[in-house]
Amino acid sequence: MFAYLVRRIAYGFVTVLGVLMLLFVLFFAIADPDDIARKAVGERASAEVYEQWKKNHGYDKPLIVNTDHGAAEFARYTDTLFFDHYRRMLTFDFGRSDADDSPIAGRILAGAVPSLSLTVPLFVIGLGVGVFFALLVAFFRDTYVDRSVLVLCMLAMSIASLIYIIGGQYLIGMLLRWFPISGFDPDPTVAYRFLALPVLIGVVSGFGADVRLYRTVFLEETNRDYVRTARAKGCGDIRVMTAHVLRNALIPILTNVVLAIPFLFTGALLLESFFGIPGLGSLTVEAIHGNDFSTLRTMVYIGALLFILGQILTDVSYTLADPRVRLR
Amino acid sequence: MKLSPIGFASFCCLAVALLVPACTNNPYPNEGGETRVFYSSFAEAPRTLDPAVAYTTSAHVITANVFDTLLEYHYLKRPYELIPALAENVPEPREMADGRVSLLFRLRDGVSFQRDRAFELNGEGIDTRIVTAQDFAFQIARLADPAVNSPVFENFASITGLRAFRTLLSERRSGDTDFAALRADQQYMALGGVPGVLVNGDNELEIILDQPNPQILYWFAMPFTTPVPWEAVAYYDGNEGRDRFADHPVGTGPYALTVYDKQFRFVLERNALWYGAQSEHRDAPGAAFPALSDISDEDIASGRIEPAYAGRALPFLERIEFRRERESIPRFNKLLQGYYDDGGVIKESFDAVVENDDLSPEMAELGMRLDKVVEPGVYYIGFNMDDDVVGRAAGDRSRKLRQAMSLVVDVGQYLEIFLNGRGVPAHSPLPPGLFGYDPDYRNPYRSVDVDRARSLLAEAGYPGGIDLETNAPLKLTFDTGDTSAQGRLRYQFFVSAWRTLGIDVEIAATNYNKFQEKVRSGAYQIFFWGWIADYPDPENFLFLLESASARSATEGPNTANFMDARYDELFAAMENRANDTRRIEIIRELTGILETERPWIELFHPEAYTLRHSWLLNAKPMGLSYPVFKYRDIDPDLRAERRLAWNKPLMWPLYAFILFIVAATLPAIRTLYRERT
Amino acid sequence: MPWISNIAVLVLVALGFLGWRTIRRNRLWSEALRALWRRRRISLVIIAVYVVIALLDSIAWVGGTVSGDVSDAVAAFKPRSIIDRIIAPEAFKELSYSAPFAEAGFYDDAPLNHPGAHVLGTDILGQDVLYRALKGVRVALLIGGLTSLIVIPIALAFGVAAGYFGGRIDDVVFFVMSTLASVPSLLLLIALIMVLGIGTVQVCVALGVTGWVGFCRLSRGETLKLREADYVQAARALGVSHAGIILRHILPNLAHLIVITFALQFTGLVLAETILSYLGIGLDGSWGQMIDQARDELSRDPIVWWNLAAASCALFTLVLCVNLCADAMRDILDPRTRREEQ
Repeated sequence: MFAYLVRRIAYGFVTVLGVLMLLFVLFFAIADPDDIARKAVGERASAEVYEQWKKNHGYDKPLIVNTDHGAAEFARYTDTLFFDHYRRMLTFDFGRSDADDSPIAGRILAGAVPSLSLTVPLFVIGLGVGVFFALLVAFFRDTYVDRSVLVLCMLAMSIASLIYIIGGQYLIGMLLRWFPISGFDPDPTVAYRFLALPVLIGVVSGFGADVRLYRTVFLEETNRDYVRTARAKGCGDIRVMTAHVLRNALIPILTNVVLAIPFLFTGALLLESFFGIPGLGSLTVEAIHGNDFSTLRTMVYIGALLFILGQILTDVSYTLADPRVRLR
Repeated sequence: MKLSPIGFASFCCLAVALLVPACTNNPYPNEGGETRVFYSSFAEAPRTLDPAVAYTTSAHVITANVFDTLLEYHYLKRPYELIPALAENVPEPREMADGRVSLLFRLRDGVSFQRDRAFELNGEGIDTRIVTAQDFAFQIARLADPAVNSPVFENFASITGLRAFRTLLSERRSGDTDFAALRADQQYMALGGVPGVLVNGDNELEIILDQPNPQILYWFAMPFTTPVPWEAVAYYDGNEGRDRFADHPVGTGPYALTVYDKQFRFVLERNALWYGAQSEHRDAPGAAFPALSDISDEDIASGRIEPAYAGRALPFLERIEFRRERESIPRFNKLLQGYYDDGGVIKESFDAVVENDDLSPEMAELGMRLDKVVEPGVYYIGFNMDDDVVGRAAGDRSRKLRQAMSLVVDVGQYLEIFLNGRGVPAHSPLPPGLFGYDPDYRNPYRSVDVDRARSLLAEAGYPGGIDLETNAPLKLTFDTGDTSAQGRLRYQFFVSAWRTLGIDVEIAATNYNKFQEKVRSGAYQIFFWGWIADYPDPENFLFLLESASARSATEGPNTANFMDARYDELFAAMENRANDTRRIEIIRELTGILETERPWIELFHPEAYTLRHSWLLNAKPMGLSYPVFKYRDIDPDLRAERRLAWNKPLMWPLYAFILFIVAATLPAIRTLYRERT
Repeated sequence: MPWISNIAVLVLVALGFLGWRTIRRNRLWSEALRALWRRRRISLVIIAVYVVIALLDSIAWVGGTVSGDVSDAVAAFKPRSIIDRIIAPEAFKELSYSAPFAEAGFYDDAPLNHPGAHVLGTDILGQDVLYRALKGVRVALLIGGLTSLIVIPIALAFGVAAGYFGGRIDDVVFFVMSTLASVPSLLLLIALIMVLGIGTVQVCVALGVTGWVGFCRLSRGETLKLREADYVQAARALGVSHAGIILRHILPNLAHLIVITFALQFTGLVLAETILSYLGIGLDGSWGQMIDQARDELSRDPIVWWNLAAASCALFTLVLCVNLCADAMRDILDPRTRREEQ
């Protein structure tokens, strides 16, 4: 077990190195650091300011080989953007934003709270609603309820998320005035007002795909022998569903769900940006509009890191929970 | 796990029953019935609040209220008039024996900085300090500091020795590491400060100018020359968890910035140490509301200014809250719901708000007021005169091409489609209300005449738009850094106008980064740009086309790279001249050159429509950056009452939806029940 | 460059014909197709209509007269597609908004050039909304279809090679795959477009880079299973070459997976483009761009709804039909009605 764990983590680390390589190619080799610096300091800035900016943001070195140092020197390869990139990312030293010089780590920490307060309720309620309806549909399988919910799911799945957001904000925010149209407040006694609408829209837009997926899982479970056994024992329909099917189906559902956890942190990009919630999603959108490459780079890295972590956790918990899974 | 669907359903019902009364769209924690809080919004946090650098409207909304200036504009008088603020007088330029000019500011006594921890550099427990002339000199030196990178350095370059000071500073820093390690203020001191800025004791500041420059007084009414404590610059260096000075302004103004969360909100709070609050300065022009005699009948009649406030001590508002609103529609809706106190009219809602150029009856019923101001600015399409096809290299051909292209752009239609007609069609760069603006002037190339355009185009050697070399329509590019879907529509408007002539203009929408790169390298042909004045003088518009500010040569704001010897000569004669008839003549001649040369297609002068609620008092529109909040007041009780009345949630669709779901599942439950029994 | 798209149309039509013939000869597939036709007749017809529109919009040439009262002298020199020639947008326009079938302008009641002729109204610049919606078809199919068509062969090559040969090849492919898969796809997409720039090719490349991983993983996994299958072992024992085994025994057994994943991928790509458009990095002329341009129009008074409605309905119909067909296809090809892991 321990060996497996070590191997799994080691592989995760190698993947992180791979992601960093990808980021290096994208943000240093393809995107030109000189361009980024020029844009940031403005056209009228003197060469002095320009060089200083490049230095402050760690863009002032050669890409891979530093010819300032001799062939035998170590620094020839360590005093470079490539090495710096790895060193800084791996030590979580994200530096400053290209757009406004603010420390990126601070902004990410500040953005995590609004993001989590949107995505955690969204996640929990979405899961609850999805499982509830899937259970309902599985319970009423092959009746008009099942069919109409399936049709509804298919329709719901085919609508672009942008339409949900535009329509939801218009209908509920502007016409019905249930909640504020947009905005956020860290004070929890007020925050719920702002979060209600995006959470509602998020749940509705994820409804179709979720219910269909969970329904398949449930139906698969209901065809198993143990369900037949339970029925034969005289167990009621509702009891079979909740006590047996739901409990057994939760394992595949949860493994599916764990993989979605990194998205809790990176936030619901569209929802946050549309509703003006100052989370990590908004941060990313702002980075796009402001050509803030360093923030974007960091966001991609963090997203990947969390995803890899989530995968390791899933794999490990899976092996712990299910003895049939062989350790490879 | 005992979770039954029925249990879950009843839980849901309970949740709904509990949540329904909690439904409210009020975005603020408390009703704020009795406190005088002004609510406003911002779209994008300004890049910097450093008064030496901040040069955008969004930054000036804050800096103008946090930093007092030597001079200010009178709140009510139009045309704009300067009044003394931190200075006790508006200085008279005094010509010196050697032809240089001296400006002498006497400073107010006992003005102190806002409380701030930066002053602890002077000793434990110290949180403020008296302002001296040295603080002004420090800030002017910062304008010249290449590390500060102030965008307005050139505008102050007529101060004696400022340019030399800049070079010297830069040389010493690169040559002398000990010097470079000093604090900025110590560096300036070591160089003896700017030669043209003389500090005579604590309360006198003398500025020496190399040549007369009447416009420079306006610059002393902007936050660029506010007193800045060296402590704040030294302390807020962005290290060890401290803010950067660009995010932490420390000034003397009526309000202090207490919360600055760029993602979410800014809060300005009343500064108890403001000079206006001290008894000795109570009657200073910038510390009291203008006297009754200065309030125009029109301001009273329109309900804008409450005459009862005449002569009262400023300020009135306790706090000003700015909330982040990225998108215009939610912002405008919150304005209509009463959660913002004033705001601009957006084009989408224009037809609901404005009728026959006045408030619509619905809005009038809500007690709104509508203010319309033509802003001192101009939007234009520019040609890059360095370009081989549209620029000066092609001589008369390109001139005729530009004239033809100018003749088909129907700005009236543009304003109608995109701005609901809010704007004044421009015939020259000068906006209405400025010295030299001639309301009767009609630019012959700025009214639509397709036939004339066609014949000009033929004369230019492009008959029917055909480039005879390639035997295809003349291909030009319209460069822009705006990649938004909405932005694209605007560019398409111009492109289709030119297509009627047979000219094939391609929209090259790259991201802003690439666009700036293009501008830098001169690889652009046609662009769309705007300019909002810094101060109300024709010089501030016409300099946009002088050779000395050409972008290709000096990286100045003359993006069209227009260079014309005669224009430069006339501009030099006009620049520093007092407003007399000769100046008008010169301005006519200058606009005459632009008329035929057509480096620009002048489009329009923007007109701002602002909606204000009935509870907002003393809000007079200002086109320039200005500390407006100290004059404003609100009626909080009226506001609280209106907000409640306007925002009742509509709940019946929810009940109808729940009923529908229950009704739809009922038959299935019944069938199932029957099957089992 | 009209010739690229003209040749592409030719190639696509030829491929379609070849595909059709192959299917006709194969019992399993022709039966599956017949079953699909029985179950999803309407969806298939609608998809066919979309494809035809996109093809018609891709065949373009310069020349011919521009019809009607022309206010656009450049049009005659531009390649115009068959759709352009039928609708003639150069003449078929108004000054600004007009409602569907309206006789007069929307806000000012000004007389229209073509009263009652704009079935879906006109947008802020007076362009016919139906025309814009039709132009969006090609962009959507380009994003969804072309990207997938380019990506599938590459992904298959890597996936099958990794699965079949294993060893070093598998290690490398698996590493690249898991690296790309561990970056949240929307973030990767954004990063790629930010770095590469905006444009049809760039966006398709970015979508391709993020999209091939799913295919590759699937084909690798399935190949791993198939490699151990009895008939493959038997073929190997009989001395059939690797290429022969892959072509004869492995690829045909991956086909149903490819078809289903293609459909899912297609809808995913088309929907993702709307998000990119909202972020300002989408494709010119797409429905996403129309939606983004139109979203503020809901606040107009009286409300302008036809722009948003036209774009979202066009998008919705296409995605729904593809989803329905994919669903039916899965049922038909996979008797266990079991959902494959995504």
